[in-house]
Amino acid sequence: MANNFVRMTEEEKLLVKGKPAKDFVGHRKIFFILSLAIIGIGLICNFIFGTTLDIQFTGGSMIKYSYTETKDFKLDELKSLVQKATPDDVVTFSDSKDMVNDKNVLTVQFSGTNTITTKLQKSITKQIQEKFPDNKFVLEQNSSVDATMGFSFLLKCLFAVAIAAVLMVLYVTIRFKKIGGFSAGVFGLVALFHDIAIIYFFYVIFRMPIDSSFMAVALMILGYSLNDTVVVYDRVREERKRIGYKADIKDVFNVAATKVMRRTIITSITTITAVVIVYVLAFIYNLDSVKAFALPMIIGLVSGCYSSLCIAGPLWVMWKKRDKKSDK
Amino acid sequence: MKRIPKPVFFIVAILILAFSFTAVFGVSYYVGDNKETSLKGIFDIRWGTDIRGGVEATFEPADGYNATDTQLDSAKAIIETRMVSSGITDYELYADYNTDRIIVRYPWKNDDKKHDVEAAIEEISSTAQLTFRPGNSYSETTIGSDGKPVYSKPTGDTETVLMDGSYVKSAKAGVDQEASSSNNSQYLVYLEFNDEGAKKFADITEKYNGKIVSIWMDDIMLSAPTIQAVITGGKAQITGNFTASEATALANKIQAGALPFKLETSSFGSVSASLGENSLSAMGLAGIIAFILIGIFMIVMYRLPGVVAVIALIGQMGITIAAISGYFPAFNSFTMTLPGIAGLILSIGMGVDANVITSERIIEEMRSGRTLDGALDRGTKSSLSAIIDGNMTIVIVAIILLLVFGPTNILSWIFGQSTTGTIYSFGYTLLVGVISNFIMGVGLSRVMLRAVAGFKFARHKWLFGGVKDGK
Repeated sequence: MANNFVRMTEEEKLLVKGKPAKDFVGHRKIFFILSLAIIGIGLICNFIFGTTLDIQFTGGSMIKYSYTETKDFKLDELKSLVQKATPDDVVTFSDSKDMVNDKNVLTVQFSGTNTITTKLQKSITKQIQEKFPDNKFVLEQNSSVDATMGFSFLLKCLFAVAIAAVLMVLYVTIRFKKIGGFSAGVFGLVALFHDIAIIYFFYVIFRMPIDSSFMAVALMILGYSLNDTVVVYDRVREERKRIGYKADIKDVFNVAATKVMRRTIITSITTITAVVIVYVLAFIYNLDSVKAFALPMIIGLVSGCYSSLCIAGPLWVMWKKRDKKSDK
Repeated sequence: MKRIPKPVFFIVAILILAFSFTAVFGVSYYVGDNKETSLKGIFDIRWGTDIRGGVEATFEPADGYNATDTQLDSAKAIIETRMVSSGITDYELYADYNTDRIIVRYPWKNDDKKHDVEAAIEEISSTAQLTFRPGNSYSETTIGSDGKPVYSKPTGDTETVLMDGSYVKSAKAGVDQEASSSNNSQYLVYLEFNDEGAKKFADITEKYNGKIVSIWMDDIMLSAPTIQAVITGGKAQITGNFTASEATALANKIQAGALPFKLETSSFGSVSASLGENSLSAMGLAGIIAFILIGIFMIVMYRLPGVVAVIALIGQMGITIAAISGYFPAFNSFTMTLPGIAGLILSIGMGVDANVITSERIIEEMRSGRTLDGALDRGTKSSLSAIIDGNMTIVIVAIILLLVFGPTNILSWIFGQSTTGTIYSFGYTLLVGVISNFIMGVGLSRVMLRAVAGFKFARHKWLFGGVKDGK
């Protein structure tokens, strides 16, 4: 009953620009269902397709050639030529076009988990160049990785993220003591996992191989989402003080989130614009590595600002309210 | 509120712009045809092989041979000698003692048009041929990438080989005991031959006593000592004006001739220079377009604070670029990779965010009916904690990444030495970016904002993103 009394007299404090605050907590079911649906689709895809790890982690080889297309060029002949050279490996091909330089790019991927030797690579290149002299085949990129190295790198990334996560919860616990820092930190962490899960499932759904650029993207989104969540908590801390400690935490959060929303959207628009430009140019120049890095970053940025307002916050509010009930 | 004198705005703004200009374009002058760079700019940034193009390879002893640390160092010294003598400056070379791996990364040389990856890798990892030859005649002198002359291609008498490196048992650097007692320590290299080698070396020293016998790796001369006496015991010293590190380097190289294993390429990769050029121009263009769009957006959204934000962002970019290019002599230049660019984007995002948070707060305070001064005062104050907390959490992440993936490699006891690399670049640009955000977005942009608010023309709420006066 006491809650109601406070709300009546303090009603004005809960208005944002003279209007009631947006009900983030009230709409939480929609947000949760949306996120769970995406994660669910990702999980289903994960079961069907499995996760594709890049050769950086699994070991294997890839060679990329650029060539100019001519009328009588037959891709099939090239394929059988390469397959003949490495009978043990399953060889896959993909062909794309570089718009700026007016070239075609052919990627040859070898399935074996061992690296191909420099000798084999040399002979394949030579055979292709001899068989198709008019197409001007040039080796643009290659990578050939030993499996054990990649895997320990992957583990180390996860370990580093775990340390950073623990320290971050610690920091939030200390700095946000007034609003129950530990639970705030933990739900901030939930938002981080949410974002990384979204990026991960993005890779899975679009069947992009997990490579070291995934690591860089995941780390960047981790930082971005963390900042977003902290800014929201900061506002909650401030509004809590202004509105009063007796007010319903749900209302306080809604007010804080509504006030922060404009900032979140504007910051996200600028950052996303920058990354979209990177993506567009990478697309024009046909830079696969940059494309594979910018696209998930865009998804992560959207997820990052969404998760702090719509996932971490409402979850934290529910937790707090549950806390209160058990106190009584 | 405390006013900051008006001219401060111009002083700070001009200083930031001037600094950023030099940080981006560098300062260099020409002495004759030689370009002397006094301050490094964006064109001096070392780009990683994933962006600029180049070769990356990992070698390990063939057939699972378990190499000792000294042997690995020696194998590394071979690669180093080959890198230096072929004039490759910015190679990166690591030895991972836990897993017996040697990792090398280097960009294509500009004049190297062919870019023959396979040949390059086979050349680097081929077994070193260590030879002892009479005299020290050579036909080619080039300047190595360490700035010292490299003498190569033996001629005349020196073309004959007296003995090869398989007779060397060990080569170690040490200090001359007699000289060190006289407080003038003299570094030298101790050579030890195996039994057969001892006999051969005795014959050689007898024949060439008082003459020069030079030591070569492949066709590069390592050292040309003069034989001072007939040495029969199979133990010799090479003296000279060595520094400690020179002596160690020479010892490692000589030891290379006695390595009991071949190097095997366990992984290798390359990016062609043309592909690298493409990505550099794409990135550059993306950076410029993105910056202009963000600038326009900020100015349209926030007017005067938007202008201040753009100046602060230019400053933040300037500091970050300076820290990467080696503009400050105290900081080495840094190799920029794709993850490094991700770190840069995040820190710029943080910089934009700091300005957005402040400007939004000022608008909010004006809406709630405060005067311009009051709104500026409250807005800047109340936005501070959000910015600091947000940035501090990022600093934590960046520092952890630096410690884990950098030279300190605090997890090396679990994951081995070699798992450093590209993520370090992310941590570095992020940390530098966030620190410069503290200086610019948090510090100087507030100073500029308060100073500019002192001008008469600026005393309209509209200019600060508020509604028109009188409404």
